[in-house]
Amino acid sequence: MSNFANFSEIDVQTGDSIVIVGENKVGKSNFIRGLQLILDPGLSERDRQLGLEHFWDGLGEDKLGETIEISVDLTDFTHDPRLMAHLNDCVVDPGPPMVARLTYRFQPKSNLGRAPDSLADYEYIIFGGSDPDMAIGSSLRRMLPLDVQVALRDAEKDLASWRNSPLRPLIEQLASSLDEATREEIQEQVNDAQSELAGHVEVVATAQQISDRLIAIAGEQHAVPLTLGLAPTRVDALLRSLRLLIDNGARGIGDASLGTANLIFLALKSLELDRLVADGERDHTFFVIEEPEAHLHPHVQRLVYRYFLGGAADEQDDVPPLTTILTTHSPHIASVTPIRSIVLLRHDALEDATIAVSTATAPLTERDEADLQRYIDVSRGEIFFARGVILVEGDAERFLIPAFAEALDIPLDMLGITVCSVGGTNFTPYVNLLGPQGLNIPHVILTDRDPNGASAPRVRRRLINVLELRERGIDYRHMDADAVIARAARFGYFVNSNTLEPVLFTGGLAEAMQEIIEEELPIGDAKRAELQKWVDDLDDLDEDGLLALIERIGKGRFAQALAPQVDDDTCPDYIRRALEYIRNAVA
Amino acid sequence: MPSRNVSAAYLAQAVDLADNRGQQVAYDSRGNCVVLAGPGSGKTKTLVLKLARILAEDVRAPRGAACITYSQECARELTRRLERLGLREAPNLFIGTVHGFCLRHLLMPYGRLAGLPVPFPLTVATQKQSEQAMKRIGDRLFGVGHPNKPIDLGRHRRSILDRTSIVWTSEAELASWAVGYEAELRRAGLVDYDDLVIFGQRLVSEHDWVLPLLQAKFPVLAVDEYQDLGVALHRIVKRVVFDGGIRLFAVGDPDQSIYGFNGADGALLHELAERGDVERVQLQLNYRSASSIISASEMALGEARGYQSNDPERQAVIAFVECADGLRGQAAYAVTEIIPAALAAKPGRELGDIAILYRDYRAGDIVAEAVAAARLDFVRVDTAAPYRKVALTSWIEDCAAWCAGGWREARPQLRGLLDRWLGFHRARLSDAEAREEMQKVTRLLWSLRARDGLARDFVVALRTGSLDALMAAEPSLADQREQVERMAAALAAGGPLADLDLASLGGRDGSPLHLNLLTLHSAKGCEYDVVIMVGLDLGSLPWRNESPDALRESRRLFYVGLTRARDEVHMLYSGYVETPRGRMYWGRSPFLNELERRMSEAEE
Repeated sequence: MSNFANFSEIDVQTGDSIVIVGENKVGKSNFIRGLQLILDPGLSERDRQLGLEHFWDGLGEDKLGETIEISVDLTDFTHDPRLMAHLNDCVVDPGPPMVARLTYRFQPKSNLGRAPDSLADYEYIIFGGSDPDMAIGSSLRRMLPLDVQVALRDAEKDLASWRNSPLRPLIEQLASSLDEATREEIQEQVNDAQSELAGHVEVVATAQQISDRLIAIAGEQHAVPLTLGLAPTRVDALLRSLRLLIDNGARGIGDASLGTANLIFLALKSLELDRLVADGERDHTFFVIEEPEAHLHPHVQRLVYRYFLGGAADEQDDVPPLTTILTTHSPHIASVTPIRSIVLLRHDALEDATIAVSTATAPLTERDEADLQRYIDVSRGEIFFARGVILVEGDAERFLIPAFAEALDIPLDMLGITVCSVGGTNFTPYVNLLGPQGLNIPHVILTDRDPNGASAPRVRRRLINVLELRERGIDYRHMDADAVIARAARFGYFVNSNTLEPVLFTGGLAEAMQEIIEEELPIGDAKRAELQKWVDDLDDLDEDGLLALIERIGKGRFAQALAPQVDDDTCPDYIRRALEYIRNAVA
Repeated sequence: MPSRNVSAAYLAQAVDLADNRGQQVAYDSRGNCVVLAGPGSGKTKTLVLKLARILAEDVRAPRGAACITYSQECARELTRRLERLGLREAPNLFIGTVHGFCLRHLLMPYGRLAGLPVPFPLTVATQKQSEQAMKRIGDRLFGVGHPNKPIDLGRHRRSILDRTSIVWTSEAELASWAVGYEAELRRAGLVDYDDLVIFGQRLVSEHDWVLPLLQAKFPVLAVDEYQDLGVALHRIVKRVVFDGGIRLFAVGDPDQSIYGFNGADGALLHELAERGDVERVQLQLNYRSASSIISASEMALGEARGYQSNDPERQAVIAFVECADGLRGQAAYAVTEIIPAALAAKPGRELGDIAILYRDYRAGDIVAEAVAAARLDFVRVDTAAPYRKVALTSWIEDCAAWCAGGWREARPQLRGLLDRWLGFHRARLSDAEAREEMQKVTRLLWSLRARDGLARDFVVALRTGSLDALMAAEPSLADQREQVERMAAALAAGGPLADLDLASLGGRDGSPLHLNLLTLHSAKGCEYDVVIMVGLDLGSLPWRNESPDALRESRRLFYVGLTRARDEVHMLYSGYVETPRGRMYWGRSPFLNELERRMSEAEE
């Protein structure tokens, strides 16, 4: 995409499905709009004739004369000869994998012969392959459409109106599939119900009452015989009046909560997509749902999008001819997104343009991918939306780091910095994901030194593993632990002198920690005296003993309790350096 | 149920096939099928119905079928007959020559990607450019007045595809001429017709990825007149069918292979037909000719084919006529004796039901002179014709037919004319552009409707209104433009067709009121009540001292001439031929001696 809306120049490679995440106004909808210019059959010629406001703002006053271009490269279509036939003239690389390209270009008219005076001198072309003369017609867009569901706020209204209802094609299919015998049977059942209703003694009485009054007013000659009944009706009209009901037919869709209506809407839509392909009206759908989280409960969000993002395909033999594209703010959706599907849009202040990065090309190994897929839950899903990430080992840090940050006047939330626990010491998948070849999100690591007796502390190997992802051709074999640690600090990877809790204990929080232990644990006098001895003389601290006590409470719970007690003075140096590093990196 | 957007008119006609086992088997075939179709066996009908069925039942857009045939004229005939079944040329239906197929469906979409050493965008050299380049290089290599002939250069390039082979280098002069000529074309940024097929063949042979793409677009490939299409197409067919999984429906008759000088060879079709993965169907019934003409033609061929006449009772005339005064005398005899008698012999018979066939355009000149002297209207098809038939000239002729009254009954259909018009644009047009073009051309044609009037004025109006702009914008039409210019020149005052009216331009082939003058080669695929063959003398058919191969082909040419006739065949000869060295009394054609002898033996 170049010169379009928020985008000066972006080139992004995506996975099988695409989940576009990014802050408000960063250009998620414009990204979709760009795809629509190429693939949406619903856009008119006028819609495709852009205005000055569609040029990248960074062009300033020099918009006239510039060209907007949006291209999509498609792969993985060679299994389906129909798709290959559609894309026949669009191939730009025979592969494998074979690549077909579709391009929208908004340009000064080709036969103008002078600089354009206004947008009246502009034209758009949509073409396949690398030859601008190979125009793409509406038939391709009809058969491979981009189908956009705008934020699902009107689901209820769409369901209520027959014309727009995704229920309509299903009912029409039902009506046309009935054979004569079935139609007659339905007609009979309706007639029976009709006569039973009309024959009811109360109904007859009401009809009689009306008849009597008629006679009283107009006399026997003018009054016509009256009965009460349902309007006489044919089967087709009857079927059209079918409506979706919930709660065993007790209530209509209009009475459902917004979430339910949206869910039903999506189910119907999904059925419609299947039907369009089965009937040969489409060969592939690029199915876009904008901000699906709007009115769905978080756990339903996860279920629904796991279905659309390919979870469903595992149970079906044939993969549906569908490419799902979502835009979202929701960590719930991010957390169920296949790790390779994330496209991150981010504002680049220097360029004053939105840039795009994708996980599809991040140098993740298969194991990395599996690890991340397993570990990225809702809270870790936040990293996709973050401007900066602090990677930590466990829950203790997750609770304490924000507290220290606050004490240091570094407002993490305001700066868009997320603390993410990797649940252990394997930082490599995360560094691959966040590193310059991945999502390129600034990040720091906080990790323990973990001394290992006479051998080198465990942190040495751990840091070398991540350093090897960031710098090439360095030989670490002759570097001792301190040399490696010094090197790592330049990348924002910081190490303490021991383990977090003993470091805090000796760093000024001994009394606060003593208080929490005594409050939380039923400990005997001997233990109490020992603890007091550690507080009195920090040199006497038995680190293993302390850790054993804290582990009885639970490190996370202990940290939560400790968090309110921390301040500027008690912040360990490695944490301070990490916080300052990330603050400067996101500024 | 999959949707059907194809007319079902073919179903009504397909009922007729039930009486002809071969046709029915071909129509019902599901896999690769080769139909060996003798003269008059209804092969075009079978092919057209089968294509309609395939499009209706076996493929669905954007996938489709390609139908390759020998010439622009054959393609036009197929298009016309498919149109009557409600099928038009569409993005998923290609009907055209092997050159058109290679250009539009192989080289244009894939040539660049494959890195073929030809200049893009592809521009086909005009006939003139090509002749000049050939002459320039020939003169440079061998000196002015050298004995090498362009026709041999063409044959060498078309028939020997492997240039590292000994066969290629063994004719060293032709090989170096070919290489020099091709380099000369490339310097001018051009390719010629033979290049299209040669590179088309290279593309499918050398690049595996082309096969699935082609198969996706055209899962079915039909080939008409297979025996005349040459070895390059044969390789393309074998590659895309047996390696690429495309389904083949090929039709042809090895006995009618008469384009050996083009590298064509009837044996190629036999080779396909005998394969285990191809169904072979033989059509035996001849709907055209009377039985005696059928048996005479088999005697002339010297092979028993066992063809049966559909109407065994029909009477026929088979006459051997010696005429004084050589070709001139033969033409005069045809005009003064045979034609009046033939017209009188059957009520309703018109000049259009009669054809005079000859060996080459020089003979055609003599015949045309005699016919013109007798003030008979005629249509002439040979290399001396005022213009060569190409897609654009055919389009102009069909537009003339539409404007001259065809619009009343939709023959031809306007929609078909418009689709073909759009097809002339090298690039696919955007929807809006296509709409605009169609409106423009429709308005123009509507305004040019006229009962009568000269063809000249029509062509001028059509050119100013649309054609000239198209030809200027599309360099790929340069070669066709040359033929349009020739057509215009012929129609201009003082030109050979100056008096032609609009309806006649529209009906230039198959007009009922025009006598047909054709070379034996051009007569292929045609049929007439009465066929008059002139120049059946040794030194003309066959030439003297022909090689055994050439002699066999001359015999097939004679066979093609005989089998054009429904009711009457007149074979005219003089016993001598005129040569640059004077009159040579070599006797009449040995084919006649042989035929007469066999016929009388058969009678005994």
